[in-house]
Amino acid sequence: MKEYELFIGPQHPGITGNMMYHLWVDGDTVTKAECNVGCLHRGFERLMESRLWMQNIPLVCRICVPEPDVNEAAYSMAVEQLMDWEIPERAKYIRTIVLELARIAAYLMAIGSYAGSIGIYTIPQWSLGDRDYILDIFEQLTGARIYHIYIWPGGVRWDMPAGLPKLIEKTLSYIEKRLELYDDVLFENRIFFDRAIGVGKIPCDKAIEWGVSGPNLRACGYGYDVRKLEPYAAYDEIDFDIVSYPDLGKFDTHEAGDVYTRMLIRRLEIEQSIAIIRQALKKMPEGEHILKHPNWLRWKVPAGYAFARVESSKGEFGYFVVSDGELKPVRVHVRGPSYTHGINVAERLLKGANIADVSQILFSLDICPPDIER
Amino acid sequence: MGLYIGDKMMKYEEWSKLAIKVSKASLWMLHFCTGCGAIEMPPVMTSRYDMERFGIAPMATPRQADVLLITGYLTVKTLRRVIQVYEQMQSPKYVIAFGSCTINGGMYWDSYNTIKHLEKYIPVDVYITGCMPRPEGIINAFIKLMELIDEGKARGWEKYQKYYDKYKENQRRVFNFEIEGENEEY
Amino acid sequence: MKSIELIGKGKEMHGRAYIEVMPDELENAIKKLKENGFNHFVMLSCIDWLEEEKFELVYHLWSYEVKEHVMLSVRMNRNNASMPSMSHLFPQIETYEREIHEMYGIEFDGNNRLTPFLLENWHHAPPMRKDFDSEKFVGKLYESIPFIEEDENEGI
Repeated sequence: MKEYELFIGPQHPGITGNMMYHLWVDGDTVTKAECNVGCLHRGFERLMESRLWMQNIPLVCRICVPEPDVNEAAYSMAVEQLMDWEIPERAKYIRTIVLELARIAAYLMAIGSYAGSIGIYTIPQWSLGDRDYILDIFEQLTGARIYHIYIWPGGVRWDMPAGLPKLIEKTLSYIEKRLELYDDVLFENRIFFDRAIGVGKIPCDKAIEWGVSGPNLRACGYGYDVRKLEPYAAYDEIDFDIVSYPDLGKFDTHEAGDVYTRMLIRRLEIEQSIAIIRQALKKMPEGEHILKHPNWLRWKVPAGYAFARVESSKGEFGYFVVSDGELKPVRVHVRGPSYTHGINVAERLLKGANIADVSQILFSLDICPPDIER
Repeated sequence: MGLYIGDKMMKYEEWSKLAIKVSKASLWMLHFCTGCGAIEMPPVMTSRYDMERFGIAPMATPRQADVLLITGYLTVKTLRRVIQVYEQMQSPKYVIAFGSCTINGGMYWDSYNTIKHLEKYIPVDVYITGCMPRPEGIINAFIKLMELIDEGKARGWEKYQKYYDKYKENQRRVFNFEIEGENEEY
Repeated sequence: MKSIELIGKGKEMHGRAYIEVMPDELENAIKKLKENGFNHFVMLSCIDWLEEEKFELVYHLWSYEVKEHVMLSVRMNRNNASMPSMSHLFPQIETYEREIHEMYGIEFDGNNRLTPFLLENWHHAPPMRKDFDSEKFVGKLYESIPFIEEDENEGI
């Protein structure tokens, strides 16, 4: 049969943002896939080298748009390592709450866009509407919907307003109720079973070597989570389990590492995050929310190499920060989880897939192009 | 040449003017996320802000879309694709540009890979300021665009046709930029 | 720390192992670490030390077993910089090498996919090098392009 070349993206509804895939197709089957990225390359790492340490905070949050807080947290943590700072207890708890709220928001978006890719358009309408209630919390806490610039080196920018825990609890119980509806429409739906089971399987023995991380790795049967491996913020004081294959709670277990398992891990982690936020709200101590900090304009960070990692909804986010003791960093390098998922893993998974499955495989990997290109 | 409505004949020019005026009630926007502003599009499209109240709907192909949204900064690589998409769209077509980065580069003012002023490469009808613009701001921009169409002032596409050579010259300069004496192999 | 014991040198830096190796030792060091549980390749970074005329490549590896992060650092001269490719050890190194080749101009022998990655039609100095002046470049390219003014007498 004749081989065709297909170009998907960047202007395509079935693609995860502004990126391109170049597919070679034989009949309905993809024989080769090549990823073409760079449409969002702003040269962040270059810009950060020419800005003050503090001026970089508004820059870093633009690296992952659906979940910006992980960037602020990871960058701040790397700088705190270099400064040898221990942040106040209250700040740790506020960070935990913010990061988990951001995780729920990002998962809701991921589930919505995945459901859109298999043609269930009710779910995006619901989940993106529900995500907005979390953005409302962020607006009250930080003053902005998307880019919060809230987590700073040394703590958090403002203290939590007194009435906020009540609003958070209200929103969480609302989302909990909505999850049952999501189950009915998407996760216990015959269409989802038929489309997702056994499709886009990551070979479990290769998963770690390929650099898979986050929910995608947990779907392969490895219970690895940075929140447990290297606890940051207040995660070491909070009691929670890691959701991983084959323990999928009330859902049936099928094959490891396929689209079905990956999406269910995300669904179950929303419940997990809700439980974490509830615990953190209960345990949160009174006190300072930020360390007494130096003059940001004349702030010099001691020389050294620091690496901080954070678990985001997409996988492991890492910040490698190098300082030579001056006003500006020498190098800030970002490890985005999509860097491996979007290029190496996706190129391998798409090989042999059906054209109709390309879009759902990409969405189930939860690829976010800004953190590939930066 | 003309068109009969009842027993009254309408001239072609009158008819096309009327058609443009009426088209404001059903603006179809192209589904193209060029930058981070795209994160505020799903909330605008879905249940909470629901832009279909205003007759705005997403559309997958450029040939059937009326509005091109430039959601944020554009890199040189995306600009090439945006121009291709813009030229595929049928007139009348409108451009709404999001955020500070399309106006003057915003926080990427010294980045080597983002174009700073979108206006130099394609005509823009409505700008939305801020980073990130709120959903209300986006809907407001659409309403402003409708007003401009009604008044006959949203004429960016005519400007593009008229100054086509100048636009092409600017685009060519940004795509094939060479500095003399600085292009040796590294 | 386990990695420092395995390689036989290095120091601890903010809770991470930092090991400097010579370019010819690199492949064996990564292989040895990989066999001993450091099987998650985190990333490959490059730092441009302009004053010392050196490029520093940092290979980050992580072990899920002993929960340890190791930074393997290799330095090379800035002129005609080249390194043997490590992409046969971990597949995603290929992509990192592509990016570093484009952004710093380092050659990786043995990597056959050093094609343009993030930039398109770029024929200037590699932009992440410290001697590339981003602000000057912006002034020369983007700011020099004129706005298109409408001729008011004519109208559209």
